[in-house]
Amino acid sequence: MSDLQFRSALSHRRDEDLPMDLCVSLDEVSDRAMIDLRGSLDDPKFVAAATAALGVALPAQPRSSSVKGDITVLWMSVDQWLVTTPRGSEQALLSKLVKRLGNTFSFACDVSDARTIIRVSGGDARSVLMKGTSVDLQSPVVKPGWVRRLLFAEVAAACQFVHSDPDTFDVYVFRSYADYVWEWLLAVARKGARVQLYGKQEPPLV
Amino acid sequence: MSGQPYRLPANVGSGTTGRILDRSRRIAFSFDGKSLSGHPGDTVASALFANGIRLVGRSFKYHRPRGVIGSGADEPNALISVGESGRHEPNQRATQVELYDGLVSKSQNNWPNLKFDIGQINSKFSRLIPAGFYYKTFMWPQSAWMFYEHFIRNAAGLGTAASEPDPDTYEHMHATCDVLVVGGGVAGLAAAQSAAAAGARVMVVDECARLGGLADSSSGLIESSPQTEWVQSTVSTLAAAENVHLMTRTIAAGHYHHNWCLLLERVTDHDPSLAIQGAPRHRLWKVRANQIVMATGALERPLTFANNDRPGVLLASAARIYVNRYGVSPGRRGVVFTNNDDAYQTALDLTRAGVPLARVVDVRTDPRGELVEEARAAGIEVVTGMAVTNVDTVAAGAKIQSVKVAPYKAGSRIGGREERIECDFVAVSGGWNPAVHLYCHTSGKVKFDEDLQSFKPDRSFDQITPVGAANGTYDLDGLISEASNTGAAVAKKAVGSKVKRSKSDRPLASSPKAGKLEPVWFVPATGALNEGNKHFVDFQNDVTAADLELAAREGYRSVEHIKRYTTLGMATDQGKTSNINALGVLTGALQSAIPQIGTTTFRPPYTPISFGAIAGTNAGNRFLVVRRTPPYEWHCENRADFEPIGQWRRPYCYPKPGDSRHDAINREILSVRNEVGLLDASTLGKIELKGPDAAKLLDRVYTNTFSTLKVGKGRYGLMLNEEGFLMDDGVTVRLADDHFLMHTTSGGADRIAGWLEEWLQTEWSDLKVYVTPVTEQWAQFAIAGPNARNVLENLDGDIDFSADSFEFMSMKVGRLTGYPVRAFRISFSGELSYEIATPSNFGHSLWLALLEAGENHGIQAYGTEALHVLRAEKGFIVVGDESDGTVTPLDLGLGWAVSKKKDDYIGKRSLERAYLAAPKRKQLVGLLTQDPQEVLPDGAYAVAELKDKPPMEMIGQVTSAYWSPTVGRSIAMALIKDGRNRLGDVVDFPLDNGKVVKATIVDPVFYDKEGAKQNV
Amino acid sequence: MLMITCPVCGAEGDETDFHCGGQAHISRPASTDPHNVSDDAQRDYLYIRNNPKGLHREMWMCARGCGKWFHAERDTVTLEFKSYYGITESAPPSSSPNPAASKTTKKKSAGR
Repeated sequence: MSDLQFRSALSHRRDEDLPMDLCVSLDEVSDRAMIDLRGSLDDPKFVAAATAALGVALPAQPRSSSVKGDITVLWMSVDQWLVTTPRGSEQALLSKLVKRLGNTFSFACDVSDARTIIRVSGGDARSVLMKGTSVDLQSPVVKPGWVRRLLFAEVAAACQFVHSDPDTFDVYVFRSYADYVWEWLLAVARKGARVQLYGKQEPPLV
Repeated sequence: MSGQPYRLPANVGSGTTGRILDRSRRIAFSFDGKSLSGHPGDTVASALFANGIRLVGRSFKYHRPRGVIGSGADEPNALISVGESGRHEPNQRATQVELYDGLVSKSQNNWPNLKFDIGQINSKFSRLIPAGFYYKTFMWPQSAWMFYEHFIRNAAGLGTAASEPDPDTYEHMHATCDVLVVGGGVAGLAAAQSAAAAGARVMVVDECARLGGLADSSSGLIESSPQTEWVQSTVSTLAAAENVHLMTRTIAAGHYHHNWCLLLERVTDHDPSLAIQGAPRHRLWKVRANQIVMATGALERPLTFANNDRPGVLLASAARIYVNRYGVSPGRRGVVFTNNDDAYQTALDLTRAGVPLARVVDVRTDPRGELVEEARAAGIEVVTGMAVTNVDTVAAGAKIQSVKVAPYKAGSRIGGREERIECDFVAVSGGWNPAVHLYCHTSGKVKFDEDLQSFKPDRSFDQITPVGAANGTYDLDGLISEASNTGAAVAKKAVGSKVKRSKSDRPLASSPKAGKLEPVWFVPATGALNEGNKHFVDFQNDVTAADLELAAREGYRSVEHIKRYTTLGMATDQGKTSNINALGVLTGALQSAIPQIGTTTFRPPYTPISFGAIAGTNAGNRFLVVRRTPPYEWHCENRADFEPIGQWRRPYCYPKPGDSRHDAINREILSVRNEVGLLDASTLGKIELKGPDAAKLLDRVYTNTFSTLKVGKGRYGLMLNEEGFLMDDGVTVRLADDHFLMHTTSGGADRIAGWLEEWLQTEWSDLKVYVTPVTEQWAQFAIAGPNARNVLENLDGDIDFSADSFEFMSMKVGRLTGYPVRAFRISFSGELSYEIATPSNFGHSLWLALLEAGENHGIQAYGTEALHVLRAEKGFIVVGDESDGTVTPLDLGLGWAVSKKKDDYIGKRSLERAYLAAPKRKQLVGLLTQDPQEVLPDGAYAVAELKDKPPMEMIGQVTSAYWSPTVGRSIAMALIKDGRNRLGDVVDFPLDNGKVVKATIVDPVFYDKEGAKQNV
Repeated sequence: MLMITCPVCGAEGDETDFHCGGQAHISRPASTDPHNVSDDAQRDYLYIRNNPKGLHREMWMCARGCGKWFHAERDTVTLEFKSYYGITESAPPSSSPNPAASKTTKKKSAGR
């Protein structure tokens, strides 16, 4: 039996030198596995089983996420969550979920390879991302843990504000789009193209 | 490098001359190949003035010499080309192009050169080129139009487009704000200040390089100081605020529904060296504003008199702006011609700067405003009740020598003594029009204001509020008060601020009290006839008052029709200077008042925006969204010839060195038929359905039944839309009682998932099913051919691929050489075939493992074209080839997959509609061409009866046609009327090139009709 | 570019973040009695649509948010969204500006 060869969506670009003059740092996060979880918050059996299996409450608030230990749960819809867990732990977690969920009306599905995560961080992360999405990332509602599905660079994506200082966003894109989105980010993230929206600025000439 | 003979000294008189100029530095530029110099701060227009260049272009139709008229976005004449090779851009307004070192500019619309232009001859024959000339002349014969067009396109038109690729980059940016203030003049800044103070997030945009608008060139004081001082301190305050974003060199190009605005920021146009540091040339902003304050100011209109287009005639406001801001004199000696008080400010500013002024000519008999008195007190000679009736020129119309002035009374012929006044420029003012363009882009309506004699904003559904000059409020204190109050009010609407305001929160201003304006739409020339004395209304399109009158005489009544017939108000300036004057002329021609005539529609963009900005980042290798499958790099490394399938790139075939595409395809097909082939089928749509009602849902969305399917088995299904037409197909597998995996077409993956969700949420919300698309989770490969089983058995794993254990149309889950897989025994080629799916991140490696395992079995990768030929040889359909949205499963001979037992499924009732149930519909058949070497083109039409030329009755069309290496001849599938009853008939396919292909109608299965090959 | 608020998840966004499903409250005759659907009823269901100047009830889907369908009342003249309500809810009384104020009943097959 040969050794399993794992290749994330952007692994072939890992050795590429990034341009020196980027105003944010860009990375692929490839060590997270993902489980798509469906169920109704109105069904206490489902909620209890999911919470027990995951060890963390399902975020009920739209556009939020919850974290405990290695597990992060991202709100995707009123009846859908994306659970992320370190790669290698997903089958055990999935079995645990399936077992706990039993015959409740629910669905847990391994989608670990369907998406990849592009991490954009730095003081200019918001404005770089706003070149590709109409979602207002400068809104006060964008706090650590905030999640939103969106159209990014004309591609369906999800975005999580991981933490600030420096501002760090995870952009979840479907695997087949990864190269396109990566190229797109390289194009808009050059220092010379920085946009500072609001805040103190040099007074324009009069 | 020549001098700048028309540059005024900085310290002449008491006025400010050249306020923004950095006279300590010279910058070099060129115009039509001539090296010239200017200073930082100059525009191309001001620098040309400084260098004594008045002739800057030729007019569109008559090729008349033209000079600069305005000082900003409204400039209709001074359109120049800027930049070279890929950076060449035509039709730039010289008044807005900022000078930079090394700028290369050229005049347009002339040949062989600006001074001697052959097209001038049009001017001599202008009586033969009236309004609608092209419509009238080049109608007949119709066939000659192609010939005419070639010459017309060369003779007319504006600048030429660049032919090399644009080396610059462009990008988009999104923003959200509470208050968007359009226009950074006094009104805009006052509104921004109060809105920002109320806590709103404010964006202020201005098209100029500097904020302040006309503060440096209009009368009035703020807080007893020159307006620019207040502007300076306000801009500093706003720039320091956290909640304000100030943007210059940015035009608000368009206003769209729900306060969505398009802004174009010109980032590097003024300094191309910024591009080297990665700055985009233009940035297109898409801004959602809760509230918009429109402080776009007003545009001055010219006056319509004979030869009013000669270089040297310019707007009164522009004349003083060139003096005050750029330190250039429009000429040696001027005349001011006006019907309102504002032009007196020009007279005063010019006089202060030492520019000799011969006369102010005012059509009003008794002007009484404060500026008029000030001018008289300054010793400026003012004549009233008079008009400029004509200009005399030298240098073939390119230079003014003098003007004629005569007594004027509105509506009367010019009579009385005509006086000739020596001068070389005329500063004209016909009043001001609020710049209402943005207001009107979506819902805003304007009304005519009799006092201002112009249209001003009236009402809008949108949250857009005009202030200041844009609202027809010209008095400085009134303007500031209006803007300041509006800023606070809209901020309150947007953010609900409760900040109390008092009158002292706004600056106090004072300005000279203005007298009343007298409308002047047309000043007749002296003499019996006005021939040769053109009165231009629209400079950019060469539309004269006579053209408008002619249009009216010919029966045009609607201003929108007159616009299109005469080309009034079209092209890059969109009638900024001409609109109201044209309406004024039409009042006479149509015997109607302006409010009744109405105005034409203002459409975005306010000024042209670049194509590059529209494309943004989506250029070059990002032009289209491209999706890659997991083994994409292997495909690249192995010379795959890709084809786009939606956004996917799939290998079409893999030519080896020396192979043609045809060779490669035939080789790939034969390897599947004789040995084994490997196909990347990862793009196939995959959707998991889970829940107690999953089977019920499938029974409703497919024409056939899935509730009877056993776990581990698959079934081919057809999906219809509600109109009964085939929409998608694929094999669905039962993973568990309540759990299915649906395969869709590659193109249908997202659409079908959405389709299922829509039905579940809207019509069948009682069904308990969760739908999860998993297309991207799985890489999926087809291993097809007689050796397929040998290849798979060559790999370590826990799946028994033997014929007995792994039946056709079943699936197994397990491991293959360590990789977790789902294996399906399904066939789209008619051969022994398996599809193996593995999580995408293992896809590339499993692909390599399969190739390695198949090496001794003759394995070859095959592409989509081989896939298509293989399925056509077997008579299998492809949704989108054999179907086109008007085809039912019965048409395709797939009645066996349509349940007759089920009460309902999507499309069932529609299949019973008379039209779909009718006999003799087009039906799927096979075709064999009489010449076996001849491959029919896709889409070729079959005709009922061959004739010499069309029309011929069409009875169907080819849906797929290929060279089949398996059967050694061409094969085709077609939809032919009543085709299944016509087996054996020969039908004609007349092609575009006159050739006729004859083909026999046959059964659409060309190979292995019994299906023996896949059951081994 | 319309601005839309999803009543299900509260996401606010551009029209391009949503998908319009056209006129709402068209009942599907085959869902009620599949064996007795007249040609006329099927034609009306498939093809006959209102094109009002003024209030229009539409189906929309929060394509870039929660993926859920909902109902909206929109003025086709001003393009203003007057109210939003659930996909399984029946139409509120005409021109009610506030969906919460109108008594709506849950009804199966109210959609489409």
